[in-house]
Amino acid sequence: MSYLLNRLFSMVLTLFLISAITFAVTNILPGDVAMMIMGTQSNPEALAGLRESLGLNDPLLVQYGRWIGGMLTGDWGTSLVFKEPIAPLLLQKMTASGLLVLFSMTIALTCAIPLGVWAAVHANRWQDTAASSTAMLGVSLPDFFWGIMLILLFARGLGWLPSSGFVDPADDFGGAVRHALLPSLALGLGLMAHLTRMTRATMTGILNQEFIRVARAKGLNESTVVWRYGLANAVGPVMTVAGLQIGYLFGSIIVIESLFNYTGMGWLTYQALLNRDIPLIQASVFVIAAVVMLSNLIVDLLYAVVDPRIRLS
Amino acid sequence: MKVPAAFRSAKGIVGALVVLTVLAVAILAPLLIPADWATRMDMRARLAPPSWAHPLGTDQLGRDLLFRVLLGAQTSIFIAVAAVMMSIVIGLPLGLISGYVGRTTDNVLMRLVDTLLSFPALLLALTISAVLGPNLQNTIIAIGIAFTPFLARIIRGEALRVAQMPYVEAARTAGNSDWRLITLHVLPNIMPAVIVQATISLAFAILAEAGLSFLGLGTQPPDASWGLMIQASRDYLDRAPWTALVPGAAVAMTVLGLNMFGDALRDALDPRARGEA
Repeated sequence: MSYLLNRLFSMVLTLFLISAITFAVTNILPGDVAMMIMGTQSNPEALAGLRESLGLNDPLLVQYGRWIGGMLTGDWGTSLVFKEPIAPLLLQKMTASGLLVLFSMTIALTCAIPLGVWAAVHANRWQDTAASSTAMLGVSLPDFFWGIMLILLFARGLGWLPSSGFVDPADDFGGAVRHALLPSLALGLGLMAHLTRMTRATMTGILNQEFIRVARAKGLNESTVVWRYGLANAVGPVMTVAGLQIGYLFGSIIVIESLFNYTGMGWLTYQALLNRDIPLIQASVFVIAAVVMLSNLIVDLLYAVVDPRIRLS
Repeated sequence: MKVPAAFRSAKGIVGALVVLTVLAVAILAPLLIPADWATRMDMRARLAPPSWAHPLGTDQLGRDLLFRVLLGAQTSIFIAVAAVMMSIVIGLPLGLISGYVGRTTDNVLMRLVDTLLSFPALLLALTISAVLGPNLQNTIIAIGIAFTPFLARIIRGEALRVAQMPYVEAARTAGNSDWRLITLHVLPNIMPAVIVQATISLAFAILAEAGLSFLGLGTQPPDASWGLMIQASRDYLDRAPWTALVPGAAVAMTVLGLNMFGDALRDALDPRARGEA
């Protein structure tokens, strides 16, 4: 319990630091919100007036206090590009991206674990070489390159799936899945390659241990040894790496959603960055960092569930 | 240092050969190929498939892709190397101090590093690049800053481990100053880890540059980089897929070479972590 409280306290502190860093980085921007709203050719007096009314002449610390206060009370400001309140906008886009993250994680894990185990069981034989080389190639190509290949093959070539756009699952579930499939695959392939490498490495280590030799000596059949004895011990480390990849996934999602015109969180962040929509940049960068941090926390806690030997302290 | 041991595996040799080839291209291509060969436009041969005249085809402006990809190597490699060097220059002292001094300094520094790690590296790089204004120099700064927390974290762990070694303890008892201990005993012993991490970071930096340029927030024309070439190919994928495949293959080959060499290097320097991702 005290562990949980400790983690919660440290989480609040980290969230605070995340907000401070986000605010600091976006405030090095040349030009400010008033300039963004009125344009560079605007009347200096009107500009000064708008600055005053937006509170841009206040000390940075006061501005930060006002911003964080707004974030805490649900007033996240208004996007300069979309002319909409940011909080509902972000929430809606977050759901769209959630679908991608879920799909790509599922694709990656269901392929990577069997593949990694298979490679480890056949360590240093052709099966291992084949799986490891494929995985190595997978981590060496940019995600958007996979995306381009997938578009060429499945959208342009075979015409099976749409190459761009987003459909709300609430309106048309089948359409939503069809539109999410290619971007998820583009995100999932690179992830799968990483996780295959990790699973193989962890499993190779475990399969060389004493207790596996004992299990084999006892006459247990090989599949019990590999899956029940071996994999059970590999789940923790593999899960930790998968959790750490969520951060990587949220980086890639910006590129992939832009490529597929999939209007989720990554696409929104990209629009904000391109148009220097400062309030939207602040909110979306903060939200992404917070989500990444929270998912890492959840993975840490789950670790104790799958591996009872771990005592949280 | 057991760096040469990395060349004992096939993976290490192939990786090193690929990396050396790419480095040679990056350095020699600008000296041997006149710059205008990559910008010369052949309007009658726009989006031409590979042929004798243009072995790798041409792009939407009829520019020769072979020369563009050879000359683009310089930009991509330069950005990656400069960004990784920057992250080492900042991350090494941070990690060393944190791991060696410990206590409050360590707590404060690592809290900051952990917070920075919550920002996806690519998001951090994109934000910094958008804030500073995208160009070659700011791409380096953006990637360099985004990679620093990873490096600082790894160096801190190593410094912490080495600082507790009996030989460091012995040197301290012998009356050596902290400065001497750090520079003479701790630093040389964490270098293998730094070298491995730098090699792997280089691979990631090439991918990051490609990603940034692909989104228009990295290298800007007229500088030619591989990521920029892939971006330019987006609208012509149907008619001329080679415009994407050529720079994509260049990125893949370089990153593959770096990853293979990095793997072999790690196996040689740290047998415990053999084959880990």
